[in-house]
Amino acid sequence: MAEEITESSNDPPPETPPTPPSEPEFDSKTMRRTKPGLKRLFLTFTVLVSFLLGFPFLFKSVEIYRSPLPFHDIDSLSNDVVSNPFLFPCHFQAILVPSDPKSSSIDLNLDELELSIRSKITKLASKGIASQCGACTNNFTLSLTLDDGGCTQSSSKFYKCGAIRAVDLDFGDDESVDEALESAGLDSGGKVYSVVVVVNGDGVEGVKVVVGKYRHAWIVGRDWGVEEVAERLAEIFVRVFVNGGREEGLIHGEFMPVGADGRIVLSFNLLNADPSDWTYDWDFRKIDETLLAPMIDALGPIANISVESQVLYHTPKFSVSSWDEKLGGYIFSTKDLPFFVNSNEWHLDTSIAAGGRSKILQFVVYVPSAKECPLLLQLPNGEISKTNAFISPMWGGVMVWNPQSCSRDSDSELLVRHIMSPEDLQKVFEVFVGQFRQLFGLKSGSLHVGAMGTYSLLASEKGFTEWELDVLSRQHTCFNIHSSATTLGSLSKLVQSLPRMIIMDEIGKQVKFSLEAAKLARVNASLGFYDASAVSSRQARSLAEDAFFHPSIMSVSYYSFEHCFAVYSPFFLPVSMLVLPAALREWRRYKQEKAKYLLWKAKEKVAS
Amino acid sequence: MMMGFKIYSLFSFKMSIFLFFFLNNAIAYSSHSSSADTTMHTNNWAVLVCTSRFWFNYRHMANTLSLYRTVKRLGIPDERIILMLADDMACNARNKYPAQVFNNENHRLNLYGDNVEVDYRGYEVTVENFLRVLTGRHETAVPRSKRLLSDEGSHILLYMTGHGGDEFLKFQDSEELQSHDLADAVKQMKEKRRFKELLIMVDTCQAATLFNQLHSPGVLAIGSSMKGENSYSHHLDSDVGVSVVDRFTFYTLAFFERLNMYDNASLSSLFTSYDPNTLMSTAYYRTDLYRRHLDEVPVTNFFGSVMETIHTDSAYRAVPRKMSKRAGINMAVEKSVQHDDRRTLIDSNVQDPTSHIKTKDQNCPFTRTMNTFFDKVERIEHPDSLVNYGLILMLPLLMVSVWLSS
Repeated sequence: MAEEITESSNDPPPETPPTPPSEPEFDSKTMRRTKPGLKRLFLTFTVLVSFLLGFPFLFKSVEIYRSPLPFHDIDSLSNDVVSNPFLFPCHFQAILVPSDPKSSSIDLNLDELELSIRSKITKLASKGIASQCGACTNNFTLSLTLDDGGCTQSSSKFYKCGAIRAVDLDFGDDESVDEALESAGLDSGGKVYSVVVVVNGDGVEGVKVVVGKYRHAWIVGRDWGVEEVAERLAEIFVRVFVNGGREEGLIHGEFMPVGADGRIVLSFNLLNADPSDWTYDWDFRKIDETLLAPMIDALGPIANISVESQVLYHTPKFSVSSWDEKLGGYIFSTKDLPFFVNSNEWHLDTSIAAGGRSKILQFVVYVPSAKECPLLLQLPNGEISKTNAFISPMWGGVMVWNPQSCSRDSDSELLVRHIMSPEDLQKVFEVFVGQFRQLFGLKSGSLHVGAMGTYSLLASEKGFTEWELDVLSRQHTCFNIHSSATTLGSLSKLVQSLPRMIIMDEIGKQVKFSLEAAKLARVNASLGFYDASAVSSRQARSLAEDAFFHPSIMSVSYYSFEHCFAVYSPFFLPVSMLVLPAALREWRRYKQEKAKYLLWKAKEKVAS
Repeated sequence: MMMGFKIYSLFSFKMSIFLFFFLNNAIAYSSHSSSADTTMHTNNWAVLVCTSRFWFNYRHMANTLSLYRTVKRLGIPDERIILMLADDMACNARNKYPAQVFNNENHRLNLYGDNVEVDYRGYEVTVENFLRVLTGRHETAVPRSKRLLSDEGSHILLYMTGHGGDEFLKFQDSEELQSHDLADAVKQMKEKRRFKELLIMVDTCQAATLFNQLHSPGVLAIGSSMKGENSYSHHLDSDVGVSVVDRFTFYTLAFFERLNMYDNASLSSLFTSYDPNTLMSTAYYRTDLYRRHLDEVPVTNFFGSVMETIHTDSAYRAVPRKMSKRAGINMAVEKSVQHDDRRTLIDSNVQDPTSHIKTKDQNCPFTRTMNTFFDKVERIEHPDSLVNYGLILMLPLLMVSVWLSS
């Protein structure tokens, strides 16, 4: 357009007198003498332009606010998690001492032993037992110390020679040995898994292996070869300290009983099946203070645990049991256990303390009615369960507790409320701790059967030993980071696939913080701070979940093009239907007139 | 959003462009097929939805309540059932049997008896809430009982009944659930591993069209009728005055009445039990997204409940009993103070941390100045004297103006 206008302005001005009208060729239909006016064109185009100028404002006003998400960082986190798995460092040390300090020195080649242990550890780790998430056998240090008067050490930075010989060890009493070793300071501050090998130990027949409550174990034995020592050390390091003494298939690795917000609510329920027979109550507060509080403190890095309790009445179980004369009790077979919990009558989930994404673990003490007392659980092999208890993964546990005498106190009309005795409560809570550990995938027996014989495991009054807590911390860190990486990945995929979705600043912040926490967790993990990494990984997971489940995402996830068209067309269709054709028509008219004028001009030029 | 849905129904024609957009999304999603096939089936959930209001839709509520009763009988606990009823027929003024709902004219079974826990009722049953339940995006204040807290080991039964059409299901006479909304929600659930397997059962007219957009693996869908077919009610109860049950649901219930929770009738036996002649429509099931063979899957996998149990082998004995009792008493004294701290801490933790952020963000400068102004006004002790001063101030102004004009 501009070109034509300039062209016309270069031509002789229009006010020059028109050529004589005597031109015979002039046809008023196809030619004109005057230059066509721009006024109408200008007016219609002004309207059109102002209409078009409105569009940027419109786009600005309906712009969807999308907080910029760090897609690149999310991708790199997901890639990192997949490509280079966690390398938790682990420090192992073995200390060989003679049982009698005065006895002769031990004849042993430390280098040979170290090589042997190393190869056995890698062999065990590659067998898949320790290759699960959170293992640390890919990145371990091993140091050996021969502390027999002289001091032969291979690259040890932790143990000071003579520390063990300074304390008095009585291998008859495992508890005292454990405490003594702890006070000896084997790890000198760092988190080191130590095994003390007492060579030629007297007073024990065969070989005795004990794993303590802290981060050490000891082997007492006599008459054994280097190979055997190496085998046992490797097994303790890998199976116990790295793997937590668990076997595959007990509980699936993904079943972590911690809520997405890093919380667990332990809900303790005492169920009186039929209160017309008897009712029992418990002094829960005391139990909470003495037994649960230390355990909850110990698990602090892994989960934020809160406790609540209730006593319920009229809570029959779902399926029936059968009387067995020989065993003198009502038998409930374990294959019927899935039908034990009566969800319609047991109102367990009454918690208001638990947020939407917390995990509630129900622990139930079931007091049977007089009709089915004593109630015994029968194992598939026909034996009667020692604990009378079972768990359901991710749900909780049930324990059947039979009153001392199953005789009904019906002679007295007035109902007596019995209180469970402290001894009974103690027993019940020992089972609870066992169930809780089982839910975390840990075994509770005091004996662990390994490939090389049995070890005895000392139990901690906190419910979890130090090395078990380490195992849990490592595993939960790994699980949490994986979980937050997949959650953030899903979120970024969702956000990218819905271009018209509002993303509030809050989501952006949560994603950012989650990524930072995940990064911190990885740094801490690589430095060996298990607790700190567990805490920040929990934070990362919780923030990632918050971002993904943010309620504001919902509102436009089903906003389609159809919708957009339907909303805006009533505003613009009527106006554009007038303005656009008008502008088009005017433009066409102008071009026509101009062509007429140019034709006339050309004719004129030829004539002149 | 309400407006958006109204417009939807005006523009019910299908736009090819929209379809294109949607398919793009679908591809983006399905590329990330979950690797959670190895997980165990650990729990069951049921989402039962009745979407229509008004007395003449009595049968839809009866359908839903019958299913509710069935899944409860087969073992799904109440806390794992999300029941959404768009109206309350039991308390309707036209109900001749107050507080009772029947699904048969013999009135043998009151569906609205004990222990019916309705999670979403009346106007709470909206498309938005329904999608929130599926995707899990709730406000923080929503209680646990209203949430679908399923995980990657969950089997979910989603039952919906109401009035449907080609690729939509009407909610509450005012909005619609489109087939792509449903598919989108299911995809998001899959993405976040909120289910292992999902059975969608729909009893509406043209129910099969609602499944057209589904693309997520692990989803099995069954509808009462094909495209262009209606789903009919089974029979009219002349006492109640309306139809009390739909045909598809009636025959589903007839199938389940024969079962108890130990039975292992397969899904294929359920699906083949529908006879097009008695239904007066063709039951349609979509299995291309589902991996397992239907005759190997017991119906109790979706309509019943499993609970995996493991026997507890041993208790955890920390210290000899006598010692611990003594220690317990000692500790009780020490711990009692600490313990109260713990309790208060727990309470304060429950607060939602995000609420602080919100209030901060809402402070725009205008409201801030207004707030300070209002604060100042509030602080004035004698408003009357203020008014008087104002009147006195007006006098000189009046005088000046008079002097100027003269």
